[in-house]
Amino acid sequence: MNELLTVAGLAIDVLTREGPRALVRDVGFRLNRGEALGLVGESGSGKTLTCRALVRLLPSACRVVAGKVTLSGAGDLLAMDERALTEVRGRRVAMIFQNPTSHLDPVMRIGEQIAEGLILHQGLDRSVARRRSIELLDEVGIADPAHTVDAWPHQLSGGMRQRAMIAAALACEPDLLIADEPTTALDVTIQAQIIDLLRRLRGTHGLAVILVSHDLALVGDFCERVAVMRAGRIVEAGETAAILAHPRHPYTRELIGSQPRLVPPGHYFPVSGAPAERAPRVKLGGGAPLLEVADLVVTFQRPRRVLDLVRRRPATYVRAVDRVGFALASGDALGIVGESGSGKSTLARAIVGLVTPSAGAIRLVGDERETPRYRRVQMIFQDPLSALNPRLSVAQTLTEPLIVHRLCRRAEVATRVAALMAEVGLDPALAHRRPRQLSGGQCQRVGIARALALSPAILIADEPTSALDVTIQAQILNLLIRLRAERQLALILISHDLEVVRRVCERVIVMRHGRVVEEGPAERIFAAPQAGYTRELLAAIPGTRGFSGGTPLAWQGVA
Amino acid sequence: MTEATAADRPAAAHVELPPMLLAGTALLGLWIVVAIGADWLAPYGPLEQDLSRTLQGPSAAHWLGTDNYGRDVLSRILHGARLDLQIAVLGVLFPFLIGNLIGLLAGYLGGWTDIVAMRLLEVTMAFPFLVLVIAIIAVLGPGLGSLYVALALVGWVSYARLTRAQVLVLKSADFVSAARVMGLGAWRVMWRHLLPNAVTPAVVFAMTDAVLVVLLGSALSYLGLGAQPPAAEWGVMIAEGQQFLASAWWICLFPGLAIVSLAMGFSLLADGLAERLGTRP
Repeated sequence: MNELLTVAGLAIDVLTREGPRALVRDVGFRLNRGEALGLVGESGSGKTLTCRALVRLLPSACRVVAGKVTLSGAGDLLAMDERALTEVRGRRVAMIFQNPTSHLDPVMRIGEQIAEGLILHQGLDRSVARRRSIELLDEVGIADPAHTVDAWPHQLSGGMRQRAMIAAALACEPDLLIADEPTTALDVTIQAQIIDLLRRLRGTHGLAVILVSHDLALVGDFCERVAVMRAGRIVEAGETAAILAHPRHPYTRELIGSQPRLVPPGHYFPVSGAPAERAPRVKLGGGAPLLEVADLVVTFQRPRRVLDLVRRRPATYVRAVDRVGFALASGDALGIVGESGSGKSTLARAIVGLVTPSAGAIRLVGDERETPRYRRVQMIFQDPLSALNPRLSVAQTLTEPLIVHRLCRRAEVATRVAALMAEVGLDPALAHRRPRQLSGGQCQRVGIARALALSPAILIADEPTSALDVTIQAQILNLLIRLRAERQLALILISHDLEVVRRVCERVIVMRHGRVVEEGPAERIFAAPQAGYTRELLAAIPGTRGFSGGTPLAWQGVA
Repeated sequence: MTEATAADRPAAAHVELPPMLLAGTALLGLWIVVAIGADWLAPYGPLEQDLSRTLQGPSAAHWLGTDNYGRDVLSRILHGARLDLQIAVLGVLFPFLIGNLIGLLAGYLGGWTDIVAMRLLEVTMAFPFLVLVIAIIAVLGPGLGSLYVALALVGWVSYARLTRAQVLVLKSADFVSAARVMGLGAWRVMWRHLLPNAVTPAVVFAMTDAVLVVLLGSALSYLGLGAQPPAAEWGVMIAEGQQFLASAWWICLFPGLAIVSLAMGFSLLADGLAERLGTRP
């Protein structure tokens, strides 16, 4: 009666050269009208495939081999012919995706893309459809909808595009919205706005939502019920609050335990559901100064169009980093926080010498001839796979800096490489693999080992875990915490994730539009943020409801 | 704790080669064997004349007939493989080396190096390929040496463009930044990190280019600008047989088939490599 969607015994195979391989097995759940279900799991767990199977939009190599998907009033979607299915898609079930850029047609105006469904499904004529499109854009919170309706997708920001996609999805008043990682590509404040919007639309439209996400905190905020997927199966499902408070399956526990917000500062992140262990204490304060950045400015020239040259308009410049200054001493851990475009990566690239500053100073303490810059400061990159040369094996990658800079004798190279691999927790058997044959976490460990090969005093980690799953993120952060203590490394951790920075760093810099908005001890900034922007950032972090039963309790629950 | 990777599957999983790659390699391999073993395989010498047996059709003694000097066509084709393979390899090798070097430097260094290299490239491309090659050979005097020089001077542009485009994409990749942060010199970054990753399209194109060069070499020999008679070269053979086309078709037909099969070998290899390396020329 109240039931909207029932999925039972869903199984999906992928056809490979070696024959079919099971990707999803025995997935079943129910969804009532107006309800929100969270589908949580790591990459490769089959959550996206499951959703795509519901509207029969699987990649061509994948096949549904068993199962039933019943939509009330429409019957079994899997047994339906393509014509009937077209009626269901868009009119009854709508979908929004992680990357709005690739799901909006770049050569179609925003309004036309919204109107398309209205004309097709509801038979409206053009002018009525256009008026309705403007209403929809207004409803999803786009300022000045009368103009935006005629905009091209590239003229909108990421958050605006996602709003436009939601407007297109809602055009025909569907009963069910499938949202596949709708905010993963967005900044945290924009994410909060989109989730607010979805929550409001649920209220006004009685919309049921399936929210696919890797972010348990987000799901905890938004969904009444949650299903945790792993390796193509649902391992645990039920009321969100109950599962967050009392997870039964060990994997769910690991997933919850890896949430940075549940880890007390000064502890390792719990791995495999084990309780958080206290990290070795680092002696704070009084370390020898290593790095001083003073009034640093980095400007980029805006690309000039031919017309600008013809009209002799002067070149315009953007200040990516605008008068930033800080000091770093040995053993320090400094977090740099900000949203995309805040200049935090440019700052890092300037410190390691990849970008030339326009003004200001970067003073690395010590004699440049004695210890060149690369022996004092090294960097870890965001995308672990693209940070490794695809043609070199792990051993070759780690050998190169040792040989080129004559850091040890040739006879010792093999032992040094083995020692480095052991230090970052890499299996020696992986030495002859190439990056493509490694997982994301393993690639990041190789990247860390390569940086350590030069024994730097400062390690800059630029979003080292944002491309990784949350349990792998915990392992990599633990490695950084341990290396910092063992090697007395000064660490600069750049991240958009405030919770991560808070757990790893004692000092935090908040950046926006290239400037430092706030600076201070991590605990003080989180407890009593001074700047308005910092408060905005903190408020946008998901997990305010789901985990709100008192944080200390929650991390005892993990243990 | 564990993440699944492609390599976690059984190590025995053997790599499947595209059939086109195998066919191309087999065809080229055949011609290489022929070129090496021509002295033993050929029943007669390539220049051996027998004026009592001119213009004879295919027979038991002369499988593919004889030409107007009574030379055995089969023997000349087998010996001609040496020259034509040499043209294919050298005619591609020099442009490949020069073009990749220029593309690598222009892409990585940018600035003036790039501007100068690109203007040079545009000037070269402004002339029709064949006209420019023929003009250079005309200045240097006919012969294979001139052909190689002309190809090197004109052919590098394609390689330079392909490799420069790849380098421009790759030089902002994180692994190149990482190499620079590690304090590696510009040559090392280019040679060890950029080139091996940027060269793939150029390698695939080289195979396609070899087809064109074989045909071009034969065509220029036909025009009297490449290999000179009486050398056993397929284009020369066709040129010499042209006047007997109506009465003694075999003099032209069989060298023509040889050219087609060698070109097909390179072409299949190009397609196979493109599939194997995941790029399309």
